[in-house]
Amino acid sequence: MKPLQIPIEHRTLPNGLRVVAAPDSTAPVVTVGVYYKIGFRLEPQGRSGFAHLFEHMMFQGSENAPKMQHIKLINSSGGVLNGSTMYDVTNYFEAVPSNALERVLWLEADRMRALKVDDENLRNQRDVVKEEVRVNVMNQPYGGFPWLDMPPVAFRNWANAHNFYGDFADLDAASLADVQTFFRTYYVPNNAVLLILGDVNPAEGFALAEKHFGNIPPGPPPKFADPGEPKQTEERRGQVIEKFGTLPAMAIGYVMPPRRTPEWCAMALLDQALHGGRAGRVYRELVLEKQIAVEADGGIDDVFVYDGPTQMTTRIFHKPEISSEDTLAAFDEIIREVQEKGITDSELEQLKVKWRSDYFATLEGGRGGHMPKYGLMHLLACFTLFDGEPQLVNTVLDGFLSVTKEQVLDAARKYLLVQNRAIVFRKPVEKSAQEAA
Amino acid sequence: MATQVQRTANPVPELAPEREVRWPKRTKTKLANGLEMILLESHTIPKFHGELYLRSGNAAAAARGTALAEMAATMVRTGTARHSSREIEEQLRGVGADLSLSAGQDNSAISFAGLSDHAEPLLLLVNELAREAAFPATEFERERRQKLEEVKLERTQPGFLAGERLRKVLFGSHPYAQISPTEEQVAAYTREGLQEVYRGFYTPENAILVLVGDFDPSAMQKVAEGVFGDWSGKKPAISEYAKPPVPKGRRVYLVDLPGSVQTQILCGCHAITRNHPDWIRLGLANSLYGGAFNSRLVMNIREDKGYTYSPRSGVNPLRQYGYFSVSAAVRNDVVAASLTEIFYEIDKLRSIPVPEAELFDAQNYLTGVFSLGLATQSGLLSQISTLALNQLPDDYLETYREKVRALTPEDVLYAARAYFDSANMQVVVVGDRKQIESQAALFGELEVFTAGGSRTA
Repeated sequence: MKPLQIPIEHRTLPNGLRVVAAPDSTAPVVTVGVYYKIGFRLEPQGRSGFAHLFEHMMFQGSENAPKMQHIKLINSSGGVLNGSTMYDVTNYFEAVPSNALERVLWLEADRMRALKVDDENLRNQRDVVKEEVRVNVMNQPYGGFPWLDMPPVAFRNWANAHNFYGDFADLDAASLADVQTFFRTYYVPNNAVLLILGDVNPAEGFALAEKHFGNIPPGPPPKFADPGEPKQTEERRGQVIEKFGTLPAMAIGYVMPPRRTPEWCAMALLDQALHGGRAGRVYRELVLEKQIAVEADGGIDDVFVYDGPTQMTTRIFHKPEISSEDTLAAFDEIIREVQEKGITDSELEQLKVKWRSDYFATLEGGRGGHMPKYGLMHLLACFTLFDGEPQLVNTVLDGFLSVTKEQVLDAARKYLLVQNRAIVFRKPVEKSAQEAA
Repeated sequence: MATQVQRTANPVPELAPEREVRWPKRTKTKLANGLEMILLESHTIPKFHGELYLRSGNAAAAARGTALAEMAATMVRTGTARHSSREIEEQLRGVGADLSLSAGQDNSAISFAGLSDHAEPLLLLVNELAREAAFPATEFERERRQKLEEVKLERTQPGFLAGERLRKVLFGSHPYAQISPTEEQVAAYTREGLQEVYRGFYTPENAILVLVGDFDPSAMQKVAEGVFGDWSGKKPAISEYAKPPVPKGRRVYLVDLPGSVQTQILCGCHAITRNHPDWIRLGLANSLYGGAFNSRLVMNIREDKGYTYSPRSGVNPLRQYGYFSVSAAVRNDVVAASLTEIFYEIDKLRSIPVPEAELFDAQNYLTGVFSLGLATQSGLLSQISTLALNQLPDDYLETYREKVRALTPEDVLYAARAYFDSANMQVVVVGDRKQIESQAALFGELEVFTAGGSRTA
């Protein structure tokens, strides 16, 4: 097995903007991303959903590219674009034929330099975001389960516990002044990383980055609120009514170890032992063998990137004729077994082969669908922002592949504890109540 | 509007000269047993991606039941003559593979991806699944129960209900009208019935194997021949169904979901199949209308009016017939306003030639996005699969961009008039009847359905 040798070059501009280039001339296509180190976890209190609403505003116009120009310029260059808001970062990205590289950098620099939006843009995007919440959460069976249901049950610090999509009242309260304050505070070059991947000569990429981003003034380093949680001493439970689906469901979340520790690697493999598809213990036991559940899945949300309390979450949709207590007991049995016996040698071996395979898949595509190198971009961005070490993409795999059975056992005993977990029950509304409504 | 370079101190940079787009060579062969094989190298990651397509799907089994090919596909991984479900799953994990089985109206497929250094064991497993699935009785009962819960859940999803109704309206008694079985149909599935579908469909004469990835094609060719060479079986007989009548006049179908906080709109009309000569110009018209972020519909009802988050249009090609559709999930109080804009933009594209600059931008979009597929194994696999399944010419990838660039405003006008059939567009709205019926009724004669699918007064 050859060690990974993805070519990576890295510079920091005088204004603090970090620039990472990962050249690969296989196809005449370049992927560009800008990551800002701010996500919905640390958005302002009283403004739930603001980080995401703000992400929408970044497409509404900047100094030299008025509303609609961003989208128009990328599409008409033969490319696609999007952005997403995560717990601890927000990203903006484009994949284009490589002859459009400078144009993309110009656009990203323009909106890093100055956002130019008005009340009408804000009203428009507030409406769009509300329809996004309706289509993804309020008008869907099991909408927001468990990513919106779990935080208020599991956590006590507002940063971790609030509604990340946003209460509509908070969205309505958001003002243009909030938008500009948020922009000035967090969207400074010294709180961001620019990534250029694919068909680029790194020296030219750095020169273009300097040309377009170099004169954006830095800001004071943002102060981040502490996302720490008070020590949890007992299991936490909550319930949410399911309006559409007929299957009772539950989500069980355990708080994970910090990143970049040996425990983190062991926990990631244990997560795969539990949730790795149909071979994973949870699906195998609950769906295939005991046939208690109709569907069961789970995992650590974004295992490489978190900067605050994060859970491994299991979702179980079980048969209505089986009680929640019995379902949970069957799940607990799986956890108990792994705490008593650990995992087997052959299981660990399989998990490592699969982990390696999944890692390569992430590098090439990842969750961006048709966005080439989305995953590589994401890892480079986060290893730069959180670790200052983009080269980690070439070495991080080693830590996972050297995990031992004993470490997996220790992780199971240390982290899969009742006093380290929260459970949300999603309970279908009673039929008669539904008809009355 | 053109992409105008602005006269400011900081103008939009021009595009640099384009680097040549070169598609990798394909190796296409046919084994003595009838299996077609297409191989393509791509060394982006030390993995490979593959599809084993069977050119029969739910439609070919429609006389025997609804969505039988799909249920048969679900069963295939649950056990073979040699291995239990658990052994299969652990073997897949042990070679680092992902594998899924699926079936649509026209094809069934085993889709897989794995490490190049474990290619042969994965192909052996795919071969075993294609030839030796045993349909264990206990696994069948479990999968059927899971399917029952799945079809119940679908009936609570506005997007599903809209799609289901539109397909019924467009395809009538043709199998394409059925996108999912009812609970009764699932209850009527038998293990033997599914096995019969499996035996008939999963044969080398009916199959295409596409492999894309980090391998040496001649070595991979030998491995694949060794694995699949002694598979045998004939092509299944082709089922013929009468052509569905094209619905005349604009009509409205309301699926009532009381209490719904949003309305799902889905409009559609008959169009063309993937290998029709008008496909590329229709693709361009669609991209101008609602197929891209920068399209007219998205700019209108999202970026200008804020009615919806995710409006889009698309051409949906099934093997025998294709249809055009437009969808948007909108606020309840703007159902009529949204439909007005949907038809305004259609009628505009049908009556006024698209300005040259806008056309140029859309051409650039289509040709650029097409070449993004070059950069990943899964992107290449999807392009090659489209060619293989639709029997498109060998030089399709190489000539597509020129063909798009040669199109004129007249081509767009032609395609819009021929296939964005405004006057005969069927309109489905899924939402709270009390809040939307009067708005929807403005657009044509209205019928109301329950989520269960029955018609109400």
